[in-house]
Formats: sequence, structure tokens, C-alpha cells
Amino acid sequence: MRYTITHRTLYEYTSGVSLCHNEARLLPRETPWQLHRPSQIRIKPRPAVSVERVDFFGNRVLYFAIQDIHQRLEVTVATEVRVLDERPFDESSASPPWEQARRMLQEDPDPEIVEARLFGLNSPFIAIQPVFREYAEASFPPGRPLLEAMADLNTRIYQEFKYDPHFTTVATPLDEVLKERRGVCQDFAHLGIACLRSLGLAGRYISGYLETLPPPGQPRLIGADASHAWLAVYVPGMGWAEFDPTNDCMPREKHVTLAWGRDYGDVAPLQGVVTGGGSHSLKVSVDVAPNPEPLRGKRG
Amino acid sequence: MSEAALAFCLEESETLESPSETLLASYPVAESGYDEMCSAPGVLRPHWVAMAQALEELGGDELERRHNEVQRLLQTDGVTYNTYDDPHGPQRHWLVDPIPLLMTGEEWTTLAEGLEQRARLMNALLVDLYDRRLAIRQGWLPAELVYAHPGFLHPCYRSLPDGNRWLIFHGVDLARGPDGVFRVYGDRTQSPSGAGYTLENRITLARALPMLYRDAPLRRLASFLETERTTLANLSRHHPENPHVVLLSPGPNSPVYFEHAYLANYLSLSLVEGEDLVVRDSRVWLKTLGGLRPVDVILRRVLDAFCDPLELDGDSLLGIPGLLQAARGGHVVLANALGSSIVENPGLGPFLPLLCRQLLGEDLKLPSLPTWWCGQLDDRGYVLAHLDELVVRSILPGGPYWEGRKLDAAAQAELIKRIQDQPHLFIAQAPSPLSTTPVLEDGRLTPRPVMLRGFVVAEDDGYRVMPGGLARVSSGMDTLQASLQKGGISKDWWVLAPTPQRHVSLLRQAYGPIIVTRDGGDLPSRVADNLFWLGRYGERLDGTARLLREALGRLLEWEQDNTDERCLDDLFEALEIPVPPVAESPRARFFALRQMLLNLLVDVEHPGSLQTIFNGLSRTGRAVRNHLGDDSWRLLNRLQQWIQELPANLSARQARELLEEELVLVASFCGLNNETMPHHQGWLFFDIGRYLERVLRTLDLFKLAFITARHPGVPLWEVVLTITDNLTAYRRRYRSALHPTAIIDLLLFDEGNPRSVGYQLRRLQRHIGRLQQPNGSPYRSVEERLVLEALSTLQLADIAALATLSHDSTRSSVELIRLLDALHKPLSGLSDALTHSHFSHAEVAQQLIMMRP
Repeated sequence: MRYTITHRTLYEYTSGVSLCHNEARLLPRETPWQLHRPSQIRIKPRPAVSVERVDFFGNRVLYFAIQDIHQRLEVTVATEVRVLDERPFDESSASPPWEQARRMLQEDPDPEIVEARLFGLNSPFIAIQPVFREYAEASFPPGRPLLEAMADLNTRIYQEFKYDPHFTTVATPLDEVLKERRGVCQDFAHLGIACLRSLGLAGRYISGYLETLPPPGQPRLIGADASHAWLAVYVPGMGWAEFDPTNDCMPREKHVTLAWGRDYGDVAPLQGVVTGGGSHSLKVSVDVAPNPEPLRGKRG
Repeated sequence: MSEAALAFCLEESETLESPSETLLASYPVAESGYDEMCSAPGVLRPHWVAMAQALEELGGDELERRHNEVQRLLQTDGVTYNTYDDPHGPQRHWLVDPIPLLMTGEEWTTLAEGLEQRARLMNALLVDLYDRRLAIRQGWLPAELVYAHPGFLHPCYRSLPDGNRWLIFHGVDLARGPDGVFRVYGDRTQSPSGAGYTLENRITLARALPMLYRDAPLRRLASFLETERTTLANLSRHHPENPHVVLLSPGPNSPVYFEHAYLANYLSLSLVEGEDLVVRDSRVWLKTLGGLRPVDVILRRVLDAFCDPLELDGDSLLGIPGLLQAARGGHVVLANALGSSIVENPGLGPFLPLLCRQLLGEDLKLPSLPTWWCGQLDDRGYVLAHLDELVVRSILPGGPYWEGRKLDAAAQAELIKRIQDQPHLFIAQAPSPLSTTPVLEDGRLTPRPVMLRGFVVAEDDGYRVMPGGLARVSSGMDTLQASLQKGGISKDWWVLAPTPQRHVSLLRQAYGPIIVTRDGGDLPSRVADNLFWLGRYGERLDGTARLLREALGRLLEWEQDNTDERCLDDLFEALEIPVPPVAESPRARFFALRQMLLNLLVDVEHPGSLQTIFNGLSRTGRAVRNHLGDDSWRLLNRLQQWIQELPANLSARQARELLEEELVLVASFCGLNNETMPHHQGWLFFDIGRYLERVLRTLDLFKLAFITARHPGVPLWEVVLTITDNLTAYRRRYRSALHPTAIIDLLLFDEGNPRSVGYQLRRLQRHIGRLQQPNGSPYRSVEERLVLEALSTLQLADIAALATLSHDSTRSSVELIRLLDALHKPLSGLSDALTHSHFSHAEVAQQLIMMRP
């Protein structure tokens, strides 16, 4: 599928900001199943400094600093992407029993597997706790293939949890999400990862977008989409298999990948430290527009 | 020790006086273990012979006397060490034992080779961990030891520009075991403190024990500090000839702030805090009164995570947003680079021999304390089976530790569960008895376990080791670990040289051409702010002490003669304390009044108590340590001592006498600053602070005496003259009873009288006019306009109308009320105006999104 993604962030301040330093993870990373054209980046006011780099996880980071007094900051990134149906795993993929996967993760000296151990440890938003293991165990009976078990966990989160954008914030602890059985995509992705890590497996957090289809007979509303998040489980020796617990599916062509890390903290789309500003308000709009034009490779 | 050497030292020790009276003979060396001075009871190691003889000649009593001298010198120099447990608590004085720890040159050379290699190894490990991570991918180092340790900061990945080193400074904690072998107990890379204390120890001991230090064949420390200075200067890319190097400190609440100020002074660096710096155009700038001044190199004593709220710990107020990005671009160099704390991880120990072979192609020279990492199955099994013999520690910074043998069964079971839950977070170490070294206690030598901290600094392509370092002993045999965290007692560590070494001081040497500068626009805004408040607190301390002294005096007079005590009510009003309710007897009333006044000495709950004001003075004073002369600094420490040593249950008379002492100290402090601080921008702020505080207090006192007093009249006017120390001036001038018009002239209009409002406003106007204006506007600044308004109001006042206050009228005229209000208004806005124009703290940094779950 081809899309033009437009992600617009607007901060408005009650008093002037004299200086701000920001990091944006809004530029899609390239994967074997995802291509992109150079992004159109519009930042108002114009930043004095703007530098792109690649972070520890391989994500593209845009650092920028605005040094003139301003009361609003607008960041718009528009990118044409093409997502191929070539992710390495789907619902029919075979995988080893989950205990074997765990043993390989802990013991196999293969450098790629050793590196994946990072995603089995605690991270700022996800702490291993017995409650997550207890919740996960129903999906992970002895001997069950890893991907089958994960698909079951994915379905259970989808069925047992209520999508409720008013219940949680970035600061809601994960065990509260589990207790109250409600949250948003970010919470569900964190919960799935917490379950995996509590069982000794490795999971990572993926931020991106999902094409949403309008109800039948209605036109597509521009800007009504949102950022999305899902997770991936590591199958030692084979790679990362993605699951979307918010939609009870394995991502294929409709999931556009932006960045990945241990949890949300590693991939926040836009963060920054401002000097002054009083209090601020935030508006985010995302548009995932299906693009009928064929993508003619990357421009130089 | 060889037979020959043993015979030699036996022979030497025979030349000493009769054993029963010597320091050495009564030195109780343990049968097992390693003592630094004696190889067996009564048998000196050869390199201690000369020292033992010198100590013997001094004798225990004289040594004790010198020891007290050392502590006194350190105390008046304000050498302190705040404990980690209680960063806001009282500062501890730095304790030093007078007996040095001796090491032969040969032994040190071997040790230094090990330390130099360790610094290279840790640097190579950092190069690898923040880029290719071969150590992890090849399995030389378990992934969890790195990834689960908070010292591994992934934003620092590939953040060091080519050609730079991760480690510039390295501190290593060492101790010698019973077998005489040195082992490493820990590494310090974020803030490897101690070099400054080491130097201060050496200087102070040399002052108190010249006979031991003069011509002693010991390696000097100054050239090591000189290397530190050169290395820092050479790190600069932008201004290699005249780089701007700053020392970034967390501020006066840091446990080792003394050292930050000391090193900044010794190495000629600007002492700054996070809020002094700003990143603009990818460069780091120092905010000064004259604008932004570029910074080339930062000697960093702030923990890694707290340095940049954008990319590292977002909650930190100590950091500078954008700092890591500036470092990444090579526009500023940090020593040490951000991210280096991962090598402080005590779990690395077992893997260093392999890492050393793989990364350096060398065998590890200096072993670590035997360590087992519980993340490995075999090691974990060993640890769980041998808990009684081991000390278990968390690898997390400042994490807890458990001595296995001290745990009961339940505690052991709980520890085992913790280990099994997250084995990769735990290590166990086999504690080995530390070597002992003589310490002076009650005029006798006593063996105490000793731990050393060695220091390494980058030089050219390699590393250079300080010949000596900080030795620390515990006050008891068992509590070493605990007491080291609390500072312990330090010792001077001597490395012996074949011949006496020349004394070199950095302060006496010049490095190349010098650019003559005068204090001015490059004063950091924060320093100006602190100097302003130092002046205000100094004056407030003086004014409050005067009021208190006066109140206590009146109280005593009333007790003796039953004279009119009614003006006490007004003095209580001035001191902002409530008058106690009517008591059943004069005696009870006396005690109640006295108690209220005495409380105002040390009551930290009361914002106007001497203790509270002194805390403000001390805090601001420490924050501008480098701008005060040494004598001013000593006076500040004397004041601290004065307040700390105030006895409980003072009588009113004693309190009054003590206040006299305090007034002299405060006056000396302020006066000395006047005499020693160059009268440039910094001093201007100090002086403006003093006189602004004074004029506000004078106006308050005036208002009380002539407008709001409950018991106006001669006794209260006399109090006002006494408090302003103008009674003599009045008497000399008028030789008559007190007349309000004369008092008003003396204290309001007489511009020749430093206690008059007129003089104070003139002085404020003059000094505010000399302040550098940040924006260079041709118009009068807000603060200039405010002081001008006050001064004009005073000068235009209708003196004739004010003079209607007649001899018998105890009430003021409407004109006086109006005048005092018109003076007060602009002056009370002056402090804010100064803050806004010069200190610019109004703006605080904030996160756009909360990144903490």
C-alpha cells in the first residue's frame, strides 16, 4: 500500500518561549518491507539549528532548536511511504515452543540473539512484575509454539480490555491498566511487552500509523487519524514478529512503521525542553491518506 | 621482606629509646594481616624507619597537639564534606590524621602501571560499548550487565566525536589484602572527587608538621595537577590558545562542593552550575552580566544522567538542555564524556581480565576484589552456597549491600529470593581484611584498616597517575564500608622518592602570555545574584543581632531596676515575634520574654532568626566561594562555628555578650569584603544588597518609632539611635535630650551619616548607575529610575512641615507618614527590578511532555 502521512503537532504557550530544544522521531525508518521518499518537514518558527541523526535503536531523530521568542510551535512532517506485504511473519508462521525460545534467548551466543536480550529487561515504562506473568500464563501453556501463544495473548488483550482514551495518560502505571482492563494502543502494547518480559522473552515497542477506514458510505475525514503503537516479539534466530493487540491482528500493509525501542520513552514522536512559556496546550493531527499514485523509487 | 632488610630494620629500631616509652613499641600489630608500617610487632618496614624516628622525636603529646592544629587549620579554611545521607544537613568537617601513609617508589611504580592500564582499558571499553558493542556481541561481557545498568545511556551512542577520549579523569578505590597485593574495589568516572582534598591535606599537614615535610623525600603532587590543567586546555578545539574551561558543579549542596571551589581556584577555571550555562547555536555559553560567553571545555562534576534534561534524565534541574547534542557536534568537550558511568559498574570485575586481553591485547595488571556475578548460573550457585562468606551487592549505583554472615535465616531467605528474581542485578564479593596503617589516637599509634583512592588523568596519548592520593581509614575495625560513605578520616599518602623533591605550586607559575583582565562583564549572573543576597543577609544578620542585643539589654535593665519596660513591646514588634501574654508574676514574665528572645537565636522555624539568616548567608557565601578572600571565608566559618557552638540555656546576660561577639564577626566580614574584593561588578552587587537591606530596615525602624509604636517617646527613640549606633553622634551634636526633629535630620537627611537614609540612597544610586546594562539602552534602567524616585522624594521633602514634630508631641505629622510611604514604595520594588534585569532567573525550563510513568 502507498500512503502520504501528514503528522502535525501544534504547541501554544501562554507566555513567550525564549529557547527550545527538541527531538522529533517523526521520520519513518526504512525496513525491508517499507520504503519512503524524503519527508517534507515544516517547522514554524524556523529553527536556528536542525540536525538529523540515527539513534541507538536505528531510528531517525531530528534535533532542532528555536532561539527566537515564540508563543506557538508548529511541526508538520509529511512523508510518502510504501508498505509491502513482506513482513517476515504471519499468522501461519511456525515457531519453536516458547520455553525453547526463552532458553535460546538466554544461552545462544549468536550476536543477534545476544543483542535482543536488551528487550527482555526492564525499561522506564515497563517493569517486570508477577501480575503480568500470571496474566500471560493462560496463553503460554507448556510446549506451545511462541507465535501461537503470542497470538492468543494478543486476542485476549483485544477482547478483555476496553479501548478508552479518557482513562489513561502517559503517566498511568501499567499495573493499573491491567487492573482496570482499559487503556489505549500504547498501554496495550506496553502490557503485551510486559507479559513477554515477565516470562523471560523479549518484546519491543513500535510506534507508527494505521490506515483507518471510514464507516461505509461516509467520506474519509482528513486529520482524524492518530498515532498508533503495537509490539513485536523476538523469535530467536528468526527475527521479530509484530502483533497489534488494539486491533487483534498481525500488521501487514496497513501499519506504517515510524520507530521502535524498549517502550514509548524511547520513541516519543516529539519531545522538548522549553525555557519560559508558562503553561501550554497541545494539538496533534494525523492524516494517513491512501495514495493511488505509484511510488517511483526514491528520489536522489 | 628479605633477611637483610629485616636485619637492617631490626638494627634501626634498636637505636630507638627504651621500648616501653616509644610510640612504636606500643603499636599493637595484629598477628595476621598486613600492616603498612611493621612487618611484625616492633619490626619496621625499611621505608618507615626515618618516619618512625621523626615521629618518635616529636612524641605522642606533641603529635596530638599538631593534630589539633591541623584540624583547626582545616576548619578555619572551611574544608567540609557533606554526607550523602543528609545532603542538606550540617556540613561535616574534613578529618585528617597527621601520620602519612608511606609507599616506596618501586611499589608505587608497579601500582601506577596497573592504574594506567585500567584507565586505558575502561576508555577502550567505553569506545566499544557506545559503538560496535563487540564486547557484548562476542560474549566477553554479558548483555545484562550493560543494558540493565542505569549507567549505560543509549542517547550517548556514537556521541563522542572522533579523536576525543571518553575518559579524561579516572579515580580508583584500592586496598591491600593480607597477602600484600593491591586490589581494586571500585571505579569513579562521573565525578572522581578527592584530588582537591588530597592536595589540601598535603598543604595543611606540611604547614602543621614542617619537620616531617620539609626536605622529605616524597613525590610532589603539583605536577599532576599541572597535567590536569594542560590536558583540559588541550581539549579545546575552538580556542586552543586561550580556551574557556569551566568546572560544572551541582552547587553548594553537593557533598564535595568544597573540592569544586578549591579545584576551580587552583586550576583557574570558572566555577559554574547548570543554570549558568545555555546551549545556543549548538554551542555552550556562560551567562554573564555582559552577555553570553562561549565555553570550550567542561570539567564535569555532575552525574551523567543529570546533565541534559532533553536527552537524559528529564527531571533534572541541574542539567543544560541540548548539552549532549552540543558535545555530539564537537562544539564543547566534556571531561569525562557523558555516558562514562557505565564503567563504574562493580559487576565488570570478573570480566576485566578477558576484556583486557581482547581490547588491549594485554594481561590485566591490577586485579579486582574477587567478584561473582549472579547473572551466571555457576557464579550464582557459588554465591548461594557461600552466603556466609560473602558480601552481596546490587550493581545499581548507591544500591544496598548485605553481609551474609550478619543475616539471620529469614533475612538470608529474603536475599536469596531477591537474587533469584533478578540475578543479573547482584554481585557478591569476598571481603578480605584490609591492610592496616598507624593512626594517632590519644597520643598513641593504633593500626586501622586503610583504603586508597588513586587518580589518573589523560596526558598526550596515554594516562598519568598521581604519585599518591587519598588514603582513608575507618574509626573502628569493623565499620569500614559504612564509615567511608560518611567520609571517614583521611590521610596523606606519600610516595617516596630517592631524593627530596622541589616544591612546586601552580599559583606561583605563569603559563605563557597572559591577557590582563579585570572583573567585569564576565561575571556569571548567578554569582551576581548570590553576591547581592550575601550583602542582604549580612546586613540582615547585623540588624537583627542589634535589635536582639538591645531587647536583651532592656530586659536586663527592667529586671534590675524595674524601669520602664514598655518599649520592649515595640522591640518585639520590630523582631516580628509576638509579645507573650500577661504572666502572673514579673518573674514569670521575665522568663517568658527571655525565652522568646533566646529562641530567635537558633529557631530555624522563624524566618527572622539568626540561624535562618545565617543559613542564607552561608548558602550564598558558599555559592560564591571563589569571589571571597581567604580571610573573609575564614570569618564566615568563624560565624558558623559561633552559631553551632551556642550553648543551650543561655542567660540573658550571656546571650548579650555572645551577640557582641557576633556583631564584631559580621562587621569584620562585611568590612573585609569591602577592603579585599575588587570594587568591580561583583562587589557592586554585594554592596547594593547591603545598602538596600539597610535602607529598608532603617525605614521600618523609623516607621515603628514615629508612627506605629505602641509606646512612643524618648525610650524608644533612644533605642532607635542605639540600634543604628548613632547615639554618640547625636549626643556630640546636640548635647541635649532627644528631640524628634534632630533625630529625623540625623537619620533621614544627613547624607554624610552612613546610617542615614539619605546617605544610603546616594550610595545605591551611585552603584546602580555603575552596573553594566545587559541591553546597552541609552535610557535609565528600571532600577535607576526607582532609586532616583526615592532620592528625589527625600530631597524634595518639606523639612519645615516635618519639623512640626515638637518636643512634647509623640505623634508624627501626616507629612512624615506620607514621606516614609513614598520612600518605601520604589525601594521595595528595587530588588525585583535588579533580579529581572541582571539575574534573569525568572524563566525556568520545562518539559513539553512528561516522560515518566
